[in-house]
Amino acid sequence: MVESMLKLAPEFENVTEQKLAKMTTKNVNVFYGSNHAVKNISLNLHRDEVTSLIGPSGCGKSTFLRCLNRMNDTITDCRIEGEITLDGEDIYNSKIDVVQLRARVGMVFQKPNPFPKSIYDNIAYGPRIHGLATARADLDEIVTNSLEKAGLWQEVKDRLNAPGTALSGGQQQRLCIARAIAVNPEVILMDEPCSALDPIATAKVENLIDELKGRYAIVIVTHSMQQAARISQKTAFFHMGDLIEHGDTTQIFTAPKKERTRDYITGRFG
Amino acid sequence: MSDHILSAYDTELNELRSIVSRMGGLAGDQLVGSMQALKERDAEEAQRLRDADAELDRLEAKAEQAAIGVFARRAPVADDLREVVSALKMTSLIERMGDYAKNIAKRTLAISKNHPVVLPQTIETMAERAHQMIQNVMDAYAHQNAEAAVEVWESDEILDNLHNAAYRQILARMMETPEHINIYTHYLMIAKNLERIGDQTTNIAEQIYYTNTGNVLEDSRPKGDVTSVGKADE
Repeated sequence: MVESMLKLAPEFENVTEQKLAKMTTKNVNVFYGSNHAVKNISLNLHRDEVTSLIGPSGCGKSTFLRCLNRMNDTITDCRIEGEITLDGEDIYNSKIDVVQLRARVGMVFQKPNPFPKSIYDNIAYGPRIHGLATARADLDEIVTNSLEKAGLWQEVKDRLNAPGTALSGGQQQRLCIARAIAVNPEVILMDEPCSALDPIATAKVENLIDELKGRYAIVIVTHSMQQAARISQKTAFFHMGDLIEHGDTTQIFTAPKKERTRDYITGRFG
Repeated sequence: MSDHILSAYDTELNELRSIVSRMGGLAGDQLVGSMQALKERDAEEAQRLRDADAELDRLEAKAEQAAIGVFARRAPVADDLREVVSALKMTSLIERMGDYAKNIAKRTLAISKNHPVVLPQTIETMAERAHQMIQNVMDAYAHQNAEAAVEVWESDEILDNLHNAAYRQILARMMETPEHINIYTHYLMIAKNLERIGDQTTNIAEQIYYTNTGNVLEDSRPKGDVTSVGKADE
């Protein structure tokens, strides 16, 4: 009796779920000219959770990812419909400062892209332009903390003035993650962050993602089924712009509900 | 079901399926052979059947190697994962069925050395029933038919009831002819072996159901065997 009283009606459950979500997307459609690349996607993204976006090339997963911090804004012909909110606020609202948005919703790319600057300046750059710190001591603290959180501090603490580009591929990618963390983001988007890394460097980045999930909502696009299975709590399968299935990663990889999900993850796609 | 893009993956899964099916067929043959040897008090055949059980052990090890190979090379997911995990469990269950048949053969060796005592008809009926269950469950496996697996799962109640009847019958004969109590104890254990073979087929049915649906069969199966709770002879 008490349980049934405490249980919310389905329509309210949905509202509560959206309120708890860090980001929500509702009926998001993306068009490149006449090409309907992303179709009616509604997804909630939570803190303390890694969401993997999987699907064959051209399925719309990266396009969808880039909508979440308005990276598609610069693409001419790209039109976005629907609603995307961060803490309940529409990120496509004209009052939104896109630079601030991208600090709150950081991004890590497929290929590590450190600035052609020192390791220190790679991290300090963001906090400086966002005015998070001006005094050297404050910047030092941010740089140290960010590199520690990214699991890179021990490896680079004695060569902070060395160029970021001199690091190995895996270290460069962790430097890019440290750079994203330095501006106190709330959401981190990753677009195939390990595809250019060897298994050891991949394991280090995956371990880092696992450690970071307690502080941020993380969304990762990956072509590796095993990576999605290893690091995410939620998995969303995209196909030809549609969201076919979204659910707990364990459920998706043991008993997917949709045949197309099954065919894709088991390697049966014709 | 459509094939994998990687055809070697299908080859490996087919190899595993083929071992499981062979084991099922062999376990059924072992049961039929053991019962025949028992009826004919054929000690030589009983010994041959005891030795033949080694083939089931060998196949179980082979299936395990094949399954581990699939895990290592293919990292199976979804229905593939369920199938390989279930195959591993099924081979253990089938091997156990072989052990029960072997135990019947072992008891036949002891029985054949004693004065002939008529085999209770219910035991023969139980053996036919158990053999039918093995065949049905292996058919369900070959056709990946969850519904047929559920039918086997539910039909175990019949074997349980037969076991109750056999138990009562044997106890009565023990009281009537205490001089044959030794043989009847063997018959009692043989009936138990047959009942356990039925249980193994229901466990196999559960694996087939899980492989094909992704759901676990609820444990609400009607259980008819009451011999262990003291009600069979009430």
